[in-house]
Amino acid sequence: MSPRYVMVIDLRRCVGCQTCTAACKSANATPPGVQWRRVLDQESGEYPDVRRTFLPVSCMHCAEPPCAEVCPTTATQKREDGLVTIDYDVCIGCANCIMACPYDARTIQHEPRWAYGVPMAHELARADPGRLSVATKCTFCKERIDRAAITGQTPGVDPEVTPACVNSCISGAMLFGDINDPTSGVVKLLESARHFRVHEDLGTGPSIYYIWSET
Amino acid sequence: MTADEPVRRVPTFCYNCVSGPDFLTVKVENGIATEIEPNFAAETVHPGRGRPCVKAYGLVQKTYNPNRVRTPMKRTNPKKGRDEDPGFTPISWDEALDTIAERLKAVRTGGLIDQAGLPRLAASFGHGGTPANYMGTFPAFLAAWGPVDFSFGSGQGVKCTHSEHLYGEFWHRAFTVSADTPNTRYVIACGANVEVTGGPTAVIRHADARIRGYKRVQVEPSLTITAACSAEWVPIRPKTDPAFLFALINVLIHEHGLAALDQPFLRDRTASAYLVGPNGLYLRDRATGKPLVWDETRRAAVAFDTARAVPAVAGRFRVATAVTMDADRVRVNHAGVEGTTAFQALSDHIARYTPEWAAAICDVPAETIRRIAGEYLEAASIGATIDIDGHTMPLRPVAVTLGKSVNNGWGAYECCWARTVLAMLVGALENPGGILGTTVRLNRPHDNRHLSVKPGDDGFMVQHFNPTSRERWEATPTTRNLHRTLVPIVGRNGGWSQALGPTQLAWMFQEERPADWPMPEPTHPDVWFVYRSNPAISFWDTRRLAESIARFPFMVAFAYTVDETNYMADLLLPEATDLESTQLIRMGATKYMEHFWDCHGVVLRQQAVEPQGEARDFTWIATELARRTGLLSAYVEQLNRGVAGVAPLKGEGYDVRLDPAEVPEPERIWDAICRAATFTLSDGRDTHGLDWFRQHGFYKVPVSRRSWYLTPTLEEQGLRYELPYQERLMRIGRELRNRLHEQNMHWWDEQLAEYAALPDWHDVPGRWEQALIAAGARTEDFPFWLLTTKSMQYHSGGNASIALMDEVSENLRGHTGVIIHVDTATTLGIGDGDPVEVRSHIGATYGRAALVKGVRPDTLVIVGQFDHWATPYIKDIERASLNSIAPMTLALTDATGSGADIVRVAVRRMERPAA
Repeated sequence: MSPRYVMVIDLRRCVGCQTCTAACKSANATPPGVQWRRVLDQESGEYPDVRRTFLPVSCMHCAEPPCAEVCPTTATQKREDGLVTIDYDVCIGCANCIMACPYDARTIQHEPRWAYGVPMAHELARADPGRLSVATKCTFCKERIDRAAITGQTPGVDPEVTPACVNSCISGAMLFGDINDPTSGVVKLLESARHFRVHEDLGTGPSIYYIWSET
Repeated sequence: MTADEPVRRVPTFCYNCVSGPDFLTVKVENGIATEIEPNFAAETVHPGRGRPCVKAYGLVQKTYNPNRVRTPMKRTNPKKGRDEDPGFTPISWDEALDTIAERLKAVRTGGLIDQAGLPRLAASFGHGGTPANYMGTFPAFLAAWGPVDFSFGSGQGVKCTHSEHLYGEFWHRAFTVSADTPNTRYVIACGANVEVTGGPTAVIRHADARIRGYKRVQVEPSLTITAACSAEWVPIRPKTDPAFLFALINVLIHEHGLAALDQPFLRDRTASAYLVGPNGLYLRDRATGKPLVWDETRRAAVAFDTARAVPAVAGRFRVATAVTMDADRVRVNHAGVEGTTAFQALSDHIARYTPEWAAAICDVPAETIRRIAGEYLEAASIGATIDIDGHTMPLRPVAVTLGKSVNNGWGAYECCWARTVLAMLVGALENPGGILGTTVRLNRPHDNRHLSVKPGDDGFMVQHFNPTSRERWEATPTTRNLHRTLVPIVGRNGGWSQALGPTQLAWMFQEERPADWPMPEPTHPDVWFVYRSNPAISFWDTRRLAESIARFPFMVAFAYTVDETNYMADLLLPEATDLESTQLIRMGATKYMEHFWDCHGVVLRQQAVEPQGEARDFTWIATELARRTGLLSAYVEQLNRGVAGVAPLKGEGYDVRLDPAEVPEPERIWDAICRAATFTLSDGRDTHGLDWFRQHGFYKVPVSRRSWYLTPTLEEQGLRYELPYQERLMRIGRELRNRLHEQNMHWWDEQLAEYAALPDWHDVPGRWEQALIAAGARTEDFPFWLLTTKSMQYHSGGNASIALMDEVSENLRGHTGVIIHVDTATTLGIGDGDPVEVRSHIGATYGRAALVKGVRPDTLVIVGQFDHWATPYIKDIERASLNSIAPMTLALTDATGSGADIVRVAVRRMERPAA
């Protein structure tokens, strides 16, 4: 069976530190204000019985992606390995997908933006005009996943072919791997703990699973 | 790997906060740093698995930030002040260094000490000593110079963990105190925000512990990140933690009883059995002066170290003859006197502090306090053991940890004492699963706290107090914060002793002094070096502090950007920053916070990219300063002694010394330091130079986990922890009072009350209210408490100007605003995001209201330290700060010299957006 990549996030571990947010921006050179992933910080309950929960969110790489359904140009595609991709050469920036995505995961940026108003050397070195006026979002670090096929490495095991956010996570909250591989870490963790997916009721089939307690 | 490769990954470290070093790699593409990544080669070496926290991901921006100071600059406007444009103008390095050297040579000509007896050179470094990991060989320059005044703090120490540092080292060589998180099962955290401040090591260890099923109860007024990650949040009234902790002790002793506690530990490893006389002093053997215990075998009082004695832990006993020794060695003979064991004295003392009593003070239900105490005792599993590297040791998996403004300022002595007593009662002090000290800074050597343990008085560890005897007390201060004169417990007298003195006094006494001041008037230092320190933002009453800074005659600031402190500088020197320069530092064994490792060694911070502009490696700057000041040979001798590195450059079997007659290049210096370090660490097996480290990043040798715990070392030497009764501190306090009163000095009398053998509760929060009244204000006009808390994105990183940190921190609730309980805000007509003014009796600060439910309704919280007006980028962003409106006063300074980040305030919605 071909691989299907998923992310498993253990909410018992997440501390909301935003290291994954920053690592993603570092790895993917997203401009200021564009966050392909971030950690939500939410309160529930009434004083003094208040809880505060940290919820890392990004593109859910849905099995039935609503963004792909509404894409008029087929720029958004669902790959066999589970990744939802955007072909920037095909995308026309119509923003249908932004409206359709129930996870608020996509962004369109029309002008270059620099952290301090003027471009810094590292920003210039990595600026990609091809990303202007097109939809962008978390790619599951697609280039790394694709490299695995060449190097023979295993995404989720070998850091060179694992998404940057997962690599960076200081609490060990994030796992990445092949849900079709019964020996993978993600499968083992899902089997050992209770989990949910966001807006599962919408039938989108998100590829990000959240652990919230033991089985 | 070579510099010519189009893509390189360069191993290095981040030590921007005390929870370093964290390992990382820098991806360099065509000579430009583009990404920060973990160092996966350190996965099994670094307890944080080779991962840096969010701050490190800002280092690329930090390198290329267009707001950096890129050339040496001199001030052209002789007037200094917030409203005076300094007119900084670029100059050459030659001009800058020669200007400094001429100043320094003039100082040397006039003498290193001025007419007031104070060093004419001062230096201030920022957070927790972390600048030392970036300042290359500058320590060797300072050592070559001679006396330097480190009195002018930036708030570090006195605002954060101060009493814990001082009393922690006194009781168990614990500059910082941590839960043994890998082994613990139950943690009561009074404000300890380790998920924010403990770095990746603390984060992963506590995450693992949560999965393992440990329970942490977070006791603090607001639902911080750490509270959010805890099993239970107890929203205690600010600054009432001593009452809460006293009540826990009360429940353990009076509701569970001695039989449920760790009696062998109390008897053998503490002074619980020492007999206290009616005058509050230890009853001592008349011949030897040794404290007496009641031997249950002989049914007689004997010296504490009598062979085969079985001391009674509790009880009162009639002692035939004894002597007590008071302050100034006043001896009193006793006959037929009642001796009460120290534990019994504790029991008697704590009897009044019931959960019901504490509930009224802390606003925590008595049943909650009682339950938590019971859970703590049950989890302590007294009698259980664990194998640690082949040794059977007690397993006591419970810990009480203290956080900022709980472990510093008034009430902190009580909290530190109570916390340590709670560990003592169940044998969890420096045993697996319990609390343990990480690193030493006042005692020496700094790299191994066990070696600082030597026999001292009365069966305790040796202590090195600043003297209080009539003959040796320092009546004329030799530092501007009077640390030797006023604070005995901060003794030992390296730079750390100075830096942990009452640094606010140095600032305050520059401006005005108490009426009964018999000492020479403190002077300004002739030359002041500042590096990675911004007291005009990070201390209290910062607007007034900036005015004080403006009166310093000559300031040299190593400057990343212009900031609120170096705005008053005469010269700005751009040092090569984190990714641009080279330095080898120690790693592992134990360092701050949760850093106790399975190895120790060294790690290299290396130049990954060329420095921007004219920025220069700090080691080059230090060497040039030494050369131009005429101190080259002394500087090189200090390098040879190992001052800037890890080991002396000559030892048995190796000699990599530098020639004192030659000007050493930075690479040559660090190559020698790398070789000396690896030779000594490996006992001569390995010698690696700088090139090896550039490729491999770090070098390690294993250490036993047994070294995490101090108790085995005390056992080996037959020593006891100086607990629970603080007879020695009481005596020292009395001596200090005698000395001060002999000089007709009474302005420190309030602080002297802290020297109690068994601390009493006093109205700790009331001190802030009284200070307000003393300033002529009315308490009813300032009905709220304002607190602050740290954020991982900014905590001690000096990175307020890093746009990435600003962006990602906005994802956290309340991070960028003034946190107010939603009900309080509704009552005041304040909506979420509304501009608000937070006003204390000394001023106001402005921000946006962040309405939450996870904070006490009587408390406001402002995250971090902001309110910048000079630092590029952040000065244009609206951020409030407690520091702008918290007073700096003697009345709010405790006996150790620390204060706390808390102030009474009013809050109101602004009718129009805040400016």
